[in-house]
Amino acid sequence: MCLDTAGADAGLPYVQAAAPEHPSLLDRAHIVDELFGIVNVPNGVWIDEDGTIVRPAEPAFPGDADRSSRLDPSQLSGRMADMMMLAGQIEADRNVYADALRDWATRGAASQFVLSPDEVLARSGERSPGEARAAAHFELAQHLERSGDHAGAVGHFRSAHRLAPDNWTYRRQAWSLEPSPLPGLLSRFWQGPMEGSEDEWPYEGDWVSDIERSGPAHYYRRFTGR
Amino acid sequence: MLLDSTTIDPAELAGRTGWVVKPEGACKGELCVPLPPEVDAGGGRLDALVLADRLAMPLIHDEAHGLWALGPETAADTALTTVEAPGLELPELASGEPFRLSSLRGTRVALVAWAPW
Repeated sequence: MCLDTAGADAGLPYVQAAAPEHPSLLDRAHIVDELFGIVNVPNGVWIDEDGTIVRPAEPAFPGDADRSSRLDPSQLSGRMADMMMLAGQIEADRNVYADALRDWATRGAASQFVLSPDEVLARSGERSPGEARAAAHFELAQHLERSGDHAGAVGHFRSAHRLAPDNWTYRRQAWSLEPSPLPGLLSRFWQGPMEGSEDEWPYEGDWVSDIERSGPAHYYRRFTGR
Repeated sequence: MLLDSTTIDPAELAGRTGWVVKPEGACKGELCVPLPPEVDAGGGRLDALVLADRLAMPLIHDEAHGLWALGPETAADTALTTVEAPGLELPELASGEPFRLSSLRGTRVALVAWAPW
């Protein structure tokens, strides 16, 4: 499920390149964030044959990424160098999740990674009244953005960020809709002020400052099988 | 859930949030919350303020745009209220055709949320 308020255009090249055998869907309104408690991407949810959730939303990786095309921070400058350096410090259990998923695909209910209903609910994440209000503000924001009212959208995005300070999805989606100096598919990853126009940035934080503040090691929750 | 008035179509509520209004109240999975008579707004619709209060859902009013947003329930303090998968329907990214999660019933499903940002 591609989460993007901006529509299908940015996600389509990735799907075309992957040519998957499974359905690829688009969620512009971030309905699944609210339904499953998704606060970052990529996230996975396991649903068994009977329509029962057996693992709630958590960081989900397909295995070791091909890093040969990753930009070398030493060849970059300014914000781009900071971004690549921080991205390289983000820790993620890239193979552990994929191995667990394969185990479940093979063994089904007998897999050690299947959780009980009580565990599923408990691990689905807390939802405070503030975070619920954040979801409502985010829904208004995406609606206004899609209607062409960017200023109206920004007001509600800011409220969502303030009410759900641990929700990376709400922040990064909003930041990605601002102007970017990067070309092509990279453009949506800038997520910060344009150099020389910092006063025009409408948000309290941005990708670099927020990752630096929270620490790249804490960006994703660790996978705990049981 | 976005609203352009303070009344809600129960069918839209069920489709969007998973809360189904039955004689015993609003139900999601095995949880049912009794609803007071005043939740009936007439014409088969529900009063959003009464519903929001009973289900501990926030109801945000954007007066400037004539919109309301009904947020998710908070009574359980957790993101999931039930382990029953919701009746999710989203468009296919390439074609725009609607796709229902329920069409995969009988198969193990890994939903993966990702983003091009």
